[in-house]
Amino acid sequence: MKNRIEEIRKERGIKQEEFAKTMGVSRQTISSLETGKYNPSIFLAHKIAVYFEMTIEEVFIFEEE
Amino acid sequence: MRTKRMISSIVEIVIGVALVACSYAGLVDEFWSGMGAALLVVGILQMARLIRYNSNEEYREKIDVNNSDERNRYIAAKAWSYAGYVHVFIAAIGTIVFRILEQETLSMLCSFSVCVIIVIYWISYGILQKRY
Repeated sequence: MKNRIEEIRKERGIKQEEFAKTMGVSRQTISSLETGKYNPSIFLAHKIAVYFEMTIEEVFIFEEE
Repeated sequence: MRTKRMISSIVEIVIGVALVACSYAGLVDEFWSGMGAALLVVGILQMARLIRYNSNEEYREKIDVNNSDERNRYIAAKAWSYAGYVHVFIAAIGTIVFRILEQETLSMLCSFSVCVIIVIYWISYGILQKRY
């Protein structure tokens, strides 16, 4: 699943460490999310979307496999 | 939770010291002194970590994030899963190899190990199926 986390985060000038701290996860998790290596749980996806004041669909791009 | 860990580390240290002392007194053999030394080291390390956790806010935050981080939990679950698969695979090969080498006891131990893992898997699957 692709996502726009890195793009939105950089647009808003938020550092990975700062973003990870706010989300309550490690910086490695944010890095893995941004590179698409790891897909988040629905709870984390929701938390990220709420933080960016966007919908989940605006942040995460669902693709049928 | 932290109190429980502190108690468990104190218990480990006490048992470790007791076993090492008993070994020096000649009451138990070297196996138990080794076990005691290992328990002592584990208990001391666990206590040192707990003391650092309670006194260092930065370390506490790091540990809390690592423990609750969903990617870490996912990786840990995956690692256990792979460990189980590899264990079964190695034990299955061991069963055959030891049988060929006419090492009946080792062959039986390997096959028993495979059976135990499979039974644990079935029980765990049944419990988890009811839970989720």
